Amino acid sequence: MNATAHAPKEPPTKVSVRGLDFYYGADRSLKNVNLPLHANKVTAFIGPSGCGKSTLLRVLNRMYDLYPGQRAEGEVLLDGENILDPAVDLNALRSRVGMIFQKPTPFPMSIYENIAFGIRLYEKLSRADLDERVETALRGAALWDEVKDKLQTSGLGLSGGQQQRLCIARSVAVQPEVILFDEPCSALDPISTAKVEELIDELTNRYTIAIVTHNMQQAVRVSDYTAFMYLGELVEYGETDDVFNKPKEKRTLDYITGRFG
Amino acid sequence: MFSIEPNRRDANGAGQEAGSNMSEVVLQQAASPSVVADRTRVLGRLALVDRIFRQATRAAAVIVLVILGGVIVSLVYGSLPSIRAFGFGFFVSQSWNPVTENFGAAPAIYGTIMTSAIAMLIAVPVGLGIAVFLTELCPYVMRRPIGTAIELLAGIPSIIYGIWGLFVLAPFLQSHVQPALIAAFGDIPVFSMLFAGPPYGIGMLTAGFILAIMVLPFVASISRDVFETVPPVLKEAASGIGCTTWEVMRYVVMPYTRVGVIGGVMLGLGRALGETMAVTFVIGNAHKISGSLLAPGTTISATIANEFTEAVGDLYTSALIELGLILFLITFVVLAIARYMLMRIEQKSA
Repeated sequence: MNATAHAPKEPPTKVSVRGLDFYYGADRSLKNVNLPLHANKVTAFIGPSGCGKSTLLRVLNRMYDLYPGQRAEGEVLLDGENILDPAVDLNALRSRVGMIFQKPTPFPMSIYENIAFGIRLYEKLSRADLDERVETALRGAALWDEVKDKLQTSGLGLSGGQQQRLCIARSVAVQPEVILFDEPCSALDPISTAKVEELIDELTNRYTIAIVTHNMQQAVRVSDYTAFMYLGELVEYGETDDVFNKPKEKRTLDYITGRFG
Repeated sequence: MFSIEPNRRDANGAGQEAGSNMSEVVLQQAASPSVVADRTRVLGRLALVDRIFRQATRAAAVIVLVILGGVIVSLVYGSLPSIRAFGFGFFVSQSWNPVTENFGAAPAIYGTIMTSAIAMLIAVPVGLGIAVFLTELCPYVMRRPIGTAIELLAGIPSIIYGIWGLFVLAPFLQSHVQPALIAAFGDIPVFSMLFAGPPYGIGMLTAGFILAIMVLPFVASISRDVFETVPPVLKEAASGIGCTTWEVMRYVVMPYTRVGVIGGVMLGLGRALGETMAVTFVIGNAHKISGSLLAPGTTISATIANEFTEAVGDLYTSALIELGLILFLITFVVLAIARYMLMRIEQKSA
């Protein structure tokens, strides 16, 4: 829970959440949350349904801003800049902090366009350069070999696992700094899940990653740090091995051993 | 008869294991002969109800076909004298002379298509704009009032649009808008032809305006409804790679809802083609084709409404019925094209 306590070998902090409260109307769903996301590491958020993990994730790219009546108080620093500041350019923020959702969300256009679309928002590239970027993104998401012969067909025609990797490729193509995964595998079969997890592992070379998951084995497999949340509070935060092997809090122990949740 | 037995394997969990994954459902079933007999009787009754229900719904569906067939048959039968007398010339002739009983449908067909085109040209962009504003941009408290107002617009009887068009809109267009149009486009080729002649007030353009106002609620409210069917997560995903509201609408919401929006537009077009009362008031009812949009004209439905009571000769009546048949065919073709377009779009995206 206390980031400054483990001192020297800590990797640099990319995102720092400080004293964060979140309200859906009058309901307070996050209570004074403090935690860091370390650069080029995977941080997993675990906890029972309704504990606020997805909410926390949606604060990190201010997705909640799309809806009236939702507000956050406190500070979230991205490279030292408070992203909760109303003056922050949301489109720029979201190009730096990408998001992958529970259900795959391919846009209603071709596979190629799904990737090229995001790139074109920010850069004017020649056809050849764009082709190359699309290929790189699809290769990066381990999808290239499966779709290279049908780039012009609809993204909606892919299987669930392929769609999810397409969405990851789309996020990566925009070249963000942080990628948020909101239960990315909960709608996928075990083989697709394994592929996505492998992918997350590779992505840490270049990106800072936060992942919400209900699957504790998944948290153990993919994450470096784990935050356990319960009823809107951050109960425990630490290195994944520590949280799962020698949790400091009884509630954490109860949850990871399946006593509740 | 069944009972639920929670399996308390870890009783130390202080009741927290109520998460039902640990519990087991045990089903015990008694199958005595009397119960079986009871059940057969009940099932028999249900099957009978089911059959009646099926026949009733089938009858309801068949009625639609019968009515449609009846309308077509009576239209064709009624227009036979006119078809025999004028043949294909009916479509191209501009004459409309009850005294010599010489009739042609060209001005009415032209007027119908032209006024509907003007209406759609105005109503589609404005209607989509309203829908986008209501679903994406409008402050929450304003949504209901504006949405309701638009639906009320659709509920206003067309006769009211008619008198308003004749007494308010037409004089206003005559004194303000039409002179400005004539002045602005007078020197530009093609446009100078479209906006030529004196500002009458009533005419094709005015009819197009009125139709646009009448069609607007359809386009706006259907577009809004289909925009709302876009899964929020899809819009979030688009926002999540940094799209602006415009980009979300243009590249995600529009393609996703294309089919529904086109459906709404076609419904509006159907109404514009067939609208009678309001158009009859403001179109001027002149049986001739003029290049200028400011000139008076007529539409199929306006002609029929105006002249049915005074149609004395058999041929006169038959010509009006043939006009009706033509309107029926036009709307049929429009709908068929719409269906075909939707099919093409669906095939392409599948």
